Amino acid sequence: MGHGPYPNIPIGGGVSPQVQQWFRAVDKDQSGFITAAELKGALVNAQGQSFSDTACNLMIGMFDKDRTGTINVEEFDKLYTYVNQWLTVFKTYDVDQSGHIEEQELSKAMSQMGFRFTPEFINFLIKRSDPKDGRVSVDQFIVLCVQIQRFTEAFRVRDTQQNGTVTIAFEDFLNVALSCSI
Amino acid sequence: MAFQSPMPSRDFLMDIFRRVDKDRSGYISADELQQALSNGTWNPFNPETVRLMIGMFDKQSRGVISFEDFGALWKYVSEWQNCFRSFDRDNSGNIDRQELKNALTAFGYRLSDEVVGIMVQKFDRFGRGTILFDDFIQCCVTLYTLTSAFRQYDTDQDGVITIHYEQFLKMVFGLKCWP
Repeated sequence: MGHGPYPNIPIGGGVSPQVQQWFRAVDKDQSGFITAAELKGALVNAQGQSFSDTACNLMIGMFDKDRTGTINVEEFDKLYTYVNQWLTVFKTYDVDQSGHIEEQELSKAMSQMGFRFTPEFINFLIKRSDPKDGRVSVDQFIVLCVQIQRFTEAFRVRDTQQNGTVTIAFEDFLNVALSCSI
Repeated sequence: MAFQSPMPSRDFLMDIFRRVDKDRSGYISADELQQALSNGTWNPFNPETVRLMIGMFDKQSRGVISFEDFGALWKYVSEWQNCFRSFDRDNSGNIDRQELKNALTAFGYRLSDEVVGIMVQKFDRFGRGTILFDDFIQCCVTLYTLTSAFRQYDTDQDGVITIHYEQFLKMVFGLKCWP
């Protein structure tokens, strides 16, 4: 799938010309595929810093459906939409438009996403993401939310009595920890 | 663990330290450490493994290794090299699924083929179904960290724990082995 350079005819799947153009700009070595490193060059947070390696690896991992370790233009189209959705969410919660989400803003964000966390846990999340300044950039926010979603889903599946508690054996725990983490 | 390395002389360590500390800052940075270590290929040493090791031996939490900490780090890397070599039975420079299972069994784990398969998949950075020296360290340290976290809750040591949602999240999130 997707060998060689770009076809000159419009690519199937309805990838818009803008996204195709953006893809070409990001695909620095014009290989027809985007690597995590090339993606890092293209994704930038509000501080003008590249998305972290973690965030880029997460993106590639999520959208590299044919497991080549790279993204082709169709996969990129979906990634692009996904990142933009997260950007919109981020901007919604970055109420003071600081380019960062602080503890209170994160608390609201989690709550509106349907999570019921104690203030202590929100504090833990913030400190985990940024021990120094206690705030998260958009790439950190994406990584955080995706992991919370994954771990919560794994927990929910095992919470057979739906009472917020699981009984879990060591191997299953390893399985969850390794599979859900980035 | 039977992979002990005797601590070398101070002069020996200082010599290595100076060669690794390329910018002569008196400290070894993550970049310098990464450049000094080899995984047996031309690819850079796994940056996550570098970060893990700095985290383990950087006693002052400055993100760099001083000469005082260097001896312990050197010994640690040497012991991992001995360990890796002993399990890389076919001397291929990498550890395949079976060799990894042997290693983990030797460390005292009783893990199913399924979980070992997941570990190879997760730590095999180049998609070859095998793991290199740097990935091996990351894999084992991650496993050790997860096991310790689990053990803290497994008070009756029966291999099963019961935990609440936020405890669970803190457990899986709070581990230093994740970036």
